[in-house]
Amino acid sequence: MPPAITGAIYHAPPDTRQLFNERLQGQPMQATHSHHHDPDHAKHDLHNHTRDRVMLWLKAALLLGMGAYFVYIIVTGNLTNYINVRFTWLSYVAAAIFLLLGVCSVFVAMRATDDDFHHDHDGHDHSHSGLSWGVLAIVSVPLILGTLIPSRPLGATAISGNLSTSAALGSLSTFTVNPLDRNVLDWLRYFGTLEDYADANDERADVIGFVYREPSFPENQFMLARFTLSCCVADASALGLPVYWENAPDLEQDQWVRVQGSFRVGEFRGDTLPILHAQDIALIEQPEHPYLYP
Amino acid sequence: MDSDAKKMLRRLITAVAGISIVVVLGAAVLGTGSDAGTVLSIFSTRFLGIFIEAVPFLLLGTLVSGLIDSFISADDIARWVPRNPILATFVGTFMGFTFPVCECGVVPVVRRLFTKGLPMSVGVTFLLAAPVINPIVLVGTYVAFGVGPVLIGRFVLTAVVAMIVGLVFAFAGRPQEVLQAGSLMPVMGGDGTRAYDPHEVIPLYAKTKRKPLLIGLRDALKMAGDEFFEMGRYLIIGTLLAATMQTLVSQEVLLALGRGPVVSVITMQLLAFVLSVCSTVDAFLALAFAGTFTTGSILAFLVFGPMVDIKSTLMFLGVFKRRIVIYLIALPFLLTLLFGIWLNLNVTF
Repeated sequence: MPPAITGAIYHAPPDTRQLFNERLQGQPMQATHSHHHDPDHAKHDLHNHTRDRVMLWLKAALLLGMGAYFVYIIVTGNLTNYINVRFTWLSYVAAAIFLLLGVCSVFVAMRATDDDFHHDHDGHDHSHSGLSWGVLAIVSVPLILGTLIPSRPLGATAISGNLSTSAALGSLSTFTVNPLDRNVLDWLRYFGTLEDYADANDERADVIGFVYREPSFPENQFMLARFTLSCCVADASALGLPVYWENAPDLEQDQWVRVQGSFRVGEFRGDTLPILHAQDIALIEQPEHPYLYP
Repeated sequence: MDSDAKKMLRRLITAVAGISIVVVLGAAVLGTGSDAGTVLSIFSTRFLGIFIEAVPFLLLGTLVSGLIDSFISADDIARWVPRNPILATFVGTFMGFTFPVCECGVVPVVRRLFTKGLPMSVGVTFLLAAPVINPIVLVGTYVAFGVGPVLIGRFVLTAVVAMIVGLVFAFAGRPQEVLQAGSLMPVMGGDGTRAYDPHEVIPLYAKTKRKPLLIGLRDALKMAGDEFFEMGRYLIIGTLLAATMQTLVSQEVLLALGRGPVVSVITMQLLAFVLSVCSTVDAFLALAFAGTFTTGSILAFLVFGPMVDIKSTLMFLGVFKRRIVIYLIALPFLLTLLFGIWLNLNVTF
């Protein structure tokens, strides 16, 4: 066996216990050796080698599982529920590195001999490969959440009052999007450039979004909402266009709709805003990209 | 403390952490008045969003860390880094351009460099400056804010704060007093968990022979796998906390806190700490606050956040002694606060 492979396990990262390590720096190698004089040493070791082996395999499985999870969310398109499409390539990188590290760990686990674990004791206290059940459990949390909880984008429930009716122009210096192609964000940016909202009167719009309603909203009004995100859902913020629609009470919270109509300045929640008076509302499926990217 | 007591303590802390996460999540569910399934779904989306966005940087950081371990010897670093603590601090500030890492990736790299005998001041300055002073963040901040006070202020302030803290460490700390045993060079009393192994690692005070390419790559990959678990758990715990906070605390409440020249800066610093958003993308998040918050507070957010936040604090604990982690949080916090308030009071943007 090549010596470098044997070395794998010695490269152990320090264990969590180092957080609580009060050991004096002057005598680093001594405190770790006490268990060598333990009369139950042999039995102890035998037990721990099985444990170590299981941990090495679990580690490899977790790395491969992470790689598989990334491939899964990329292939299914669920990735767009979490991050800006601009950063999709980062997830490709993550998938590739996880699989690479996973394959590497499989080799390490296959080639690990009892000798490695024995040797491990010389300098290592019981840290072995730096793994503990706790670490393995923590690292499996993303996999558990990712596989057991159905993947859904942020929706009406995630807004809980934080809904903005204005948007900064951001990096755009001029506004050139064709009115009928504008999404919720484009419209809010456009309103931001107007000196008088009345200039938007009678502008025609064709936009999609999900229905957001609070109990305080008038019965025939709702917000056509979208989440915008720059990087990932951590910085998601909700935007909304107030919509006036006679049959608004029929629409379910969170339902994705396509609204066609025209704007007219009016009162909404005490603010004077352009309100979209809907002529037609169609129920639609959640779009492939649920978020808008400013 | 003997090993049984340590084991007990560790179990106790794990249990307490686990229980508190469950309790906080329970409170989140009750607080929003929504059903548990919906809240769990939102929590899961927020958690995975941060995780999926952050983990490639963590992986790249661990790979760079592994490659540095395999291919960069103590001799190389001795050649690169000036011995003069002031010059070394300056070098540490701009080393991010050769090692482009964000704050999740920078900690393993710094720890690796410490085990290779990097001077204390360079390591600390690099740790604080590299997440901002690197090409990726430069471009990101430019796209978000253009060339202006925020872009220039962010880079200048980061360099100044990092250098000041680096100098404090250069003159006030021996590595043995600052680092966890596992982050120390063996000759300085490292406990050997990291670098010391008679069969493999050539003692660093000896002339180091460079590893052959393939063996070096293989070792780098193994190292990266280990580092992922070690640093990944901090990232995951930090992300769990951040996602919990985002599900619990409404942005409106946070916004209401910060208008004044002092309160806004403190608020944005705490927000940066709590949100733990990666330095490569925090400029876009700050953009959302730029309309309502003082420019000084936006800068404080962009300077302090990449240096210290929940997840990097948890990572610091794996490298530095606990007392030192307090300095590493307090010094950048106070300096950034001071600069932020000063800018708000004296400069019209």
